[in-house]
Amino acid sequence: MAFHPLLAQLHARSIARRPKAAARALARFAKAERGSMLTLIWAATHVDSPERRATYLEQAYEEQRHGRMFSKRAAELNGYASSEPSVNTDAEDLFIALGEIRMLAFLYRGEHRAVVEFSGYRDAFRKAGDAKTAALFAEIVEEERHHQEYPLELIQSLTNDPRAVTRASRYVAAWEAWRTMRRLGQFMAGLLYTGGMTCLYALLLPLSLWVRWVRPEVRGLVLAREWSRNDRSQERG
Amino acid sequence: MASVLGISGLYHDAAAALVIDGTIIAAMQQERFSRVKHDRALPKDAALSCLRFAGIAPEALDAVIYYEQPFQKLERVLVSTLRGFPQSFRQFPRAMRAQLADKLWVLDAISETLNVPRRRVRAVGHHESHAASAFFPSPYERAAVLTLDGVGEDTTTALWFGNGNTLTPIASTAWPQSLGLFYAAMTAWSGFEVLEGECKLMGLAAFGQPIHREELGRVLLLHETGEFELTLSFFDRFTDTELGFGKRLEQLLGERRDPLIPWDLTTPRDQHYANVAATVQCITEEAVLGLARRASRETGACNLCLAGGIALNAVANARLAKESGFDRIFVQPAAGDAGGALGAAILGSIALGDRRPSAMTSAALGLTASASDTVDLCKHLGLSARRVSDPAESAASLLSENKVVGFVQGRFEFGPRALGHRSIIASPETIAIRDRINSVVKQREPFRPFAPAILADSCSQYFDTEPSDMTAFMTTVASVHASVPTPIDAVLHCDGTARIQTVTADAASGLEAVLRARVRRGEAPILLNTSLNGRNEPIVGSAIDAILFFLAHRVDALIVEDVLVERQT
Repeated sequence: MAFHPLLAQLHARSIARRPKAAARALARFAKAERGSMLTLIWAATHVDSPERRATYLEQAYEEQRHGRMFSKRAAELNGYASSEPSVNTDAEDLFIALGEIRMLAFLYRGEHRAVVEFSGYRDAFRKAGDAKTAALFAEIVEEERHHQEYPLELIQSLTNDPRAVTRASRYVAAWEAWRTMRRLGQFMAGLLYTGGMTCLYALLLPLSLWVRWVRPEVRGLVLAREWSRNDRSQERG
Repeated sequence: MASVLGISGLYHDAAAALVIDGTIIAAMQQERFSRVKHDRALPKDAALSCLRFAGIAPEALDAVIYYEQPFQKLERVLVSTLRGFPQSFRQFPRAMRAQLADKLWVLDAISETLNVPRRRVRAVGHHESHAASAFFPSPYERAAVLTLDGVGEDTTTALWFGNGNTLTPIASTAWPQSLGLFYAAMTAWSGFEVLEGECKLMGLAAFGQPIHREELGRVLLLHETGEFELTLSFFDRFTDTELGFGKRLEQLLGERRDPLIPWDLTTPRDQHYANVAATVQCITEEAVLGLARRASRETGACNLCLAGGIALNAVANARLAKESGFDRIFVQPAAGDAGGALGAAILGSIALGDRRPSAMTSAALGLTASASDTVDLCKHLGLSARRVSDPAESAASLLSENKVVGFVQGRFEFGPRALGHRSIIASPETIAIRDRINSVVKQREPFRPFAPAILADSCSQYFDTEPSDMTAFMTTVASVHASVPTPIDAVLHCDGTARIQTVTADAASGLEAVLRARVRRGEAPILLNTSLNGRNEPIVGSAIDAILFFLAHRVDALIVEDVLVERQT
């Protein structure tokens, strides 16, 4: 869901007529929805106000439902009627990372992107004649619209400052850009590391021969020295 | 007189356990807080919750003990990948990254995360933690101890002798000779997820016949001495660590089952997988039995304690109880890696001069769910909630109407089983209720049974066993009598067995009260008990989790302490 709207539309058009590709995309959305669900559950755990706790929990439930809907449809597009594969995801505790106000700004931005992108997917699937997937996106878009609205209202009511939304949004935009940079850095470092380690591995051939000689695999039970020395005779006796 | 925190983590099922002055105060899995099933992360939330529950600050801890020796683990990983040169070229960077990125520095990370001086953070061996988690909370003064899992530092299987405050190693088997590797590989070959699918493979076994003994006898060789030997060419531990099995195994048994195809045991294809599952179960039981008999010969002990992932195989445990020659067997409810945290904490406590803990009678070592939070949340979510004077009576009344009830009472359980503190309960009479729970909540494969919970004093009316050290924690199965006072079709497996839980007030007072209320109403002292979670979700911990569960799954009612939440039709 981190696509530019235009890219998202192009992607939607490219997958809408290819069920397997569509299934892969829906599985990714399921993962993202599950990440959102965890973020909101954690927020509900941290917040003291029962009202806001209920708000976050309600959205968590809807994100969970969206994730399931995406998973189920992905399975159907793959040709399996009833399977719902497990979905693991990486999620961040944004309440702790950003604080509640900025987390709400993050939610607003995320949901806004989702509305724009999912609308594109809805239209693309509709044009491709896949009414079922289009209806799925249409239903989710409607709920995401609500998710997009309430964070702004909540920021206003929590801060009583008309400029708070703008400030929080700007901060979150910068934070997201920095996070993207870090992820890119991690990816590059990962490539370098893998390359380096593979080279190192090639150099370990002599060591591997030595290890096989001095540390061969041992089969069966090996008696512990402590047991052989002390306990066995006593227990038998 | 010491306060010791045990930590397991960075592999799967991360957990924390707190032992103060030799008493187990709390033990919790990280997944109950993070809501990520089998969460591997360093269990900060679980650790801090243990400390908050006890009302002590991290600085007051005398020791924090991690359940595995990081440098020994690194050595094994290095040696193992080097032995596999050049097939291990893909595994090497991944394995080194995993070790060097966080696992090697875990003791420093624990010190920083919990703000405990580094000198107080130590490590003990993986299998020693398992053995301690099984023996020290057991009711036995002396026992043989058997630990079986995938792999610890280097050990995959170990025999111990527990005597009072001491654990003495007897013998061990080193990686890659591992029953855990065998069972995990067969789980993956059958199309299940490793860590999640082992109990599915066990359930599937009852639907097949063990007709592949010859083939699988070449994969896992069993010796008269109680030792076992894997034929490693059937496994692919260097290039595919997720699946574990190799092409040769597929040549022997056929292709891996596609995980996404729904199960249909009427087809020859799925019957083949059931037959293999039955054979795997049979061979695993014999391997464990051989090791248990060896442990008996070595120690002369009358009692056996089991830990490690394999110890969660309830069917194998039942066979051990019948055939191993031991008088009594104890399997600590969190027998897997989570339990390592408990074992580490106890080892630390004993090393500091404390006595061993008294026998474990309940797995409820987590946090309570707040009734007032439940009421507040329901009010704001527009759910119908009310306080009831007798939650057990309310539950019994709902069960009489064939309702499916989410039941949250007291502290949540430690380990993978819901034992009446975070359970879905229902009347056990008909298959229809089982199917309903499957359709609205669990979405389980058709071959997976639900378990019965029965009043301990009524156990022999339905089952061919008396309450034992294992039945209290649902770690064994029992055969159902041919004729029972009331039907229990919803909890009966196809082979006429059930994974029973015998309920006493000590172990699960809330569930016991419901069963007593059922008896007062003239109903059977037994009910269906399954964990309060949906498919691929961790078991509910807090009131928030319980309400989210109620929103997401169409159970008829939810009882959180004395709050009854009912679905409005």
